[in-house]
Parts: sequence; C-alpha cells; structure tokens
Amino acid sequence: MYQFINTVLNGITSGAIFSLMAIALVLVWRSTRVINFAQSGMALLSTYIGFECIQRLHSFWIALPLSMIAGAFFAALVDTFFMRVLFRRTADGPISGVAPIIATLGLLGLIRSSLGMIVGNSDASIRPPVSNVGFTVSGHTLAFSPLKLMTLSMVIALMLGLTLVFQRTNLGLALRASAYAPEIARLAGVRVDAIRTIGWALAGAAGAAAGMLQTPNGNGALAPDSLEFNLLLVFGFIAAVIGGLESLVGAVVGGLVLGLFLAFIQYYVSGSLVFIAAFCILIIVLLLKPKGLLGSKAGRRA
Amino acid sequence: MHKILHTNLGRALFFTALGFGLFLASNRIDELRVYQGATLAMFVVAISSLILLTGYSGQVSLGHGAIMAIGAYAAALARIHWGLPVWLCFSAAVVVAAFAGAVLGTAAARLSGPYLAGTTLALAVGLPSIANQFHVLGGEQGLLFDIGQPPSWLGADFTSYKWYFWIGSSACLITLWWLQNILRSRYGRTWRAVRGNEVAAQLCGIHAGKSKTLAFSVSSGLAGLAGALLAMTISTVSPSAFPLSLSFTLLTGAVLSGITTLPGVIIGAVTLVATPEIADAISQRMANSESVTTNLPGLLVSALLILVVLFVPNGPVEQMRMFRVKARSHTKN
Repeated sequence: MYQFINTVLNGITSGAIFSLMAIALVLVWRSTRVINFAQSGMALLSTYIGFECIQRLHSFWIALPLSMIAGAFFAALVDTFFMRVLFRRTADGPISGVAPIIATLGLLGLIRSSLGMIVGNSDASIRPPVSNVGFTVSGHTLAFSPLKLMTLSMVIALMLGLTLVFQRTNLGLALRASAYAPEIARLAGVRVDAIRTIGWALAGAAGAAAGMLQTPNGNGALAPDSLEFNLLLVFGFIAAVIGGLESLVGAVVGGLVLGLFLAFIQYYVSGSLVFIAAFCILIIVLLLKPKGLLGSKAGRRA
Repeated sequence: MHKILHTNLGRALFFTALGFGLFLASNRIDELRVYQGATLAMFVVAISSLILLTGYSGQVSLGHGAIMAIGAYAAALARIHWGLPVWLCFSAAVVVAAFAGAVLGTAAARLSGPYLAGTTLALAVGLPSIANQFHVLGGEQGLLFDIGQPPSWLGADFTSYKWYFWIGSSACLITLWWLQNILRSRYGRTWRAVRGNEVAAQLCGIHAGKSKTLAFSVSSGLAGLAGALLAMTISTVSPSAFPLSLSFTLLTGAVLSGITTLPGVIIGAVTLVATPEIADAISQRMANSESVTTNLPGLLVSALLILVVLFVPNGPVEQMRMFRVKARSHTKN
C-alpha cells in the first residue's frame, strides 16, 4: 500500500516537471509551428544562470524567478533575431519545412558547446532548498519529501498563473487567436509577430522552471553535456505528443500520464527499463492515436 | 560530362572508373590519409542517406547516428555469433537498419509534422540506456567488430587501413551509383512529388504515408551501412561511438552538401573529416585547455550548421548553380 502511494506521488511529481517541458514545447509549436529542440539547451542555460544567482544571493527562491526571466528573455531574443530571419530566408524553397527544425538543433549544439567552453568541467550543483527526506506517516518513511511537495506546488502555481493569463487577459486572447488563425488575428489588429515572441518567451520561462526544479530532484549536479536535460526534452516531447501537441491542457495531462506510467515501471518492474518504456509509449501513441489522447479528430495539418 | 551521367551504362562506367582511380591513389598516399579516406567514404554514405531523406522526401531525422548504431550492432553481432563473411555482415547491417527504419517510419514518418524528428531524437538520446539494457549488446564497452586481415593475395605490405579504405570506397561508390538510379526511378519521382506538394501528390494516386515510410526505410538502410563502416574503421561498436553529436554532425554535413543535391555530398564529407583537425589546430594555438579542446569541434559544427541554414539554405552547390542561371538569363536579356 505504501509502495503504491509512493509510486503515485512520485509519478505525479516527475510528471509535473515533464508537463512544464511539454508546455514549453507546445507554446512554441502553437506560435511558430516548430518543435523547439533547442529547448533543453535553453533550459540548461537558464538553470546555469539560476545556479550563478544562488551562488551570489544564497536563495533558491530569488534565483528561480530570475532564471525564468533570463530564460524568457533569451527565448525572445532567439525568436526575434534568429527564427524570424530564418523564416524569412527559407519561406519558399525545397527545405522550407525542415530548415527550422535543423536550425533549432544547431542552436542546441551551439548552446551546449559554448556553455561547455565557458563553464568547463567545474562541478556546479543545486542543493535542494528544502529537505529531501521523505515524510513519515505512522512509522513509515514515504519517498514523497518536502522537496517533491515544493516542486509539485510550484508547478501547480505556475500552471494556474498560465491558465489565468490565457483565459482572463487580452494577451491570452491574442495568444490563442494567433495560434488558432494567424491571418484572421492579424486582420483583427493583433500584432501576430510580437505575440509569437511572447509565446516563445513564456516557453523559455517554463523551460527554465522545469530545469530549475528538475535539477535538485535528480542528483543536483549540473553539467553542459548532461543527459538529464536531453531526457527532459525527450520526455517533454513524448508528453506533448500524448496530449496532441496542440493543447496546453493536453500537455499537462500527457505529462502526468507519462510520469505516472514511468513511476510504475520504475517501482514495480525495473528502473533501467524507464527509457525503453517511454519510447514504446511514444510509438504506440503515434500508431494508435496520432492526434493524442485529447486531440480532436479533425486535427489540423502542420 | 553531364550527358554521360544521364545514361545507365554511362553512370556505371563513371563510377567504376572513379573506383579504379581511388584504388590507384590509395597506393600513393600515407597511412593517415588512407584512414581518413575510409572515414570520408563512411561520411559520404551517411550524408547521402540523410540527403535522400531530407532533400528528396522532405522529412528530417535528428537521430541518424542512432540508426547507424543499429546497423553497426547488427553487423558486429552477425560477425561475432555466426562468423559471417564481411560483405554479409554489411548486408545484415543494411537489412536490419532498413527494417528498424520501416518500424519507426510506420509510426512517425507517415504523419506530417515534427513527429519523425522527435522520435529519432528520442532514439539517439536513449541509445546508451538501450545498449546497457541488453547484455547481448555489451553495455558501455560495446562489442568488438573485427573484419579480419586483408586477403593474402593482395600482398604482404597491404595494410588494414588500406583494406578499410578499399571496402569503404567500394561501398560508397556502389551506394552513390544505386542512389543515382533510384532517384531517377519511379520512387525518386514519387518522393519528390510528396515533398513538393503532398495534397497534389495524393490526388495523383500516390499514397503519401507509404511513400514517406519507404523513403525513411531506404535512408535507414544506407545509414546502417554507414554505421557498419564506422564500426569497421574503429573496430568496435559502443554507445559512445554514436553520440548525439554524431547526428548533429551528419545534419551539418547534409546541409553543407546542399540537402537537395546529391553531387555536393563530397563537400559535406570533406568538411566533416577536416573539422576535428581544424579544431585541434585552433585549440593548440589558442588556449590548449581541456574544456576548449573537447567543445571546439561541436561549436564549429553547430555554428557551421546555423550559418549555412541561415545564409545558403539550399547548400553552396545549388546556390552557385542558381547564380549561374541568373547570370545567364541576364545576359540573354
């Protein structure tokens, strides 16, 4: 019974982080029709900035918003000075469909190797801001710790904030409109280009938060060639695909489903099977429900 | 020149002549260059598989390195467990990788959008954990892939590097010849039609999903061959030989070659072989610190990728051709 509760709680926590990454991918996909494979590199960069802030200010709670702002700023820069130019230059031509994907991959390589050059192999790490020893309930120590509770509540707070922005503000309306029908939104006076950049910025912030929260939940170590961030990107992508790539709610549901499923594999089958299980889920979803679990039948073509 | 390449016999003769030229050349240059020649042949095969996929069928794979690994593991397993002759090992690499490509392609390639890119990227990221999971793949250490000594009739002073080069360049020439043929065939035209306009192609009775899956499968088969060639030159197959950066590198090579034109492939391959040497030279002259030395090749490759995509998205060769066409039309007017 305790094992079951442990599994569910841990699954939801890691799923919440996958959801953040999936939200980042979906936000960019909705605004520019590109899956930003550089998201893991951007998250890594923001997490390094967060680490530097912790070194100087000695507070995780100040560093987290700072790193999110840095992530948003960097993503906005990438969109304005790189993606827009790229879209203009490859608008028509045989490789117009694949050029943005290739470019984001190049960006990922660029970020990682420049980070590697700058920070070298100095060992950076982010210590958990609260205890990561599990709660004790009537003599049993759960794997669910204050750290996981903090992670989960941060993610929920961020998602609530994002939902409020999307549902209750004019900016949210403009974001939804330019994702749904850019031409009509433009005719209605929405500055679609600027709104797209804001979409990128929100995604950058979400990715930064995912990186900042994932690092202390893992072993805490940060490295430019870390596998953890690539896995975060891949799991975020799988979560987004489960949710149907189009919807933010889908991304959250996809992340939670994936997190729970992987937790059950990890605790009940074998920890080393996690990646293979995730990959199988991706293949199965693509084969059976290519529009995602929540996707409508008439999903739009990319 | 161009007229010769437009007939079947002409193409076959051209590639045979090229092959003889290469074999004669291999006797005249030193060992290191011969070894680099073998690597070059491997890159030509790998890049042309990516060009077939991206340029001719309009899809992109971010994890072609992982598919190369599938071919390499297949070849090594065939060699270790059944002791197959070398050419059968290479055939096994092609067949197994093409099959894996068909499975992945059925899931991801038939869908439009970023699905194939994401799925292949996931495969490349997860390759080490997959290799560690199955004991038969040998975990981190990987497997030995020893193709044995060159046959004795080639003479006593015939080194293994030269043998690698001969095998590599034969495989490369056969691949290029075969690609020239298939791209001019019905399949090549179908792929280009789907890339150009999927809806219009479907109206003409082409099954777009099947066509894309086939293209991915063929491309995977070639990537598998390239993987076996890579394993041959380094004598081992391990996850660290096929890192994520290999997939990036291949994409850079493909973009530099001009992903819609096969003839440019040699530019991309030469650049990829030269990049580590250039990076070495720079880092020795500059800082000589470890973090620079390990990261400079990756930095050069990704910077090159971004610059080419931004400024010559069709590749230098195609760009030159377009300039020439423009200049010609100006003089006519």
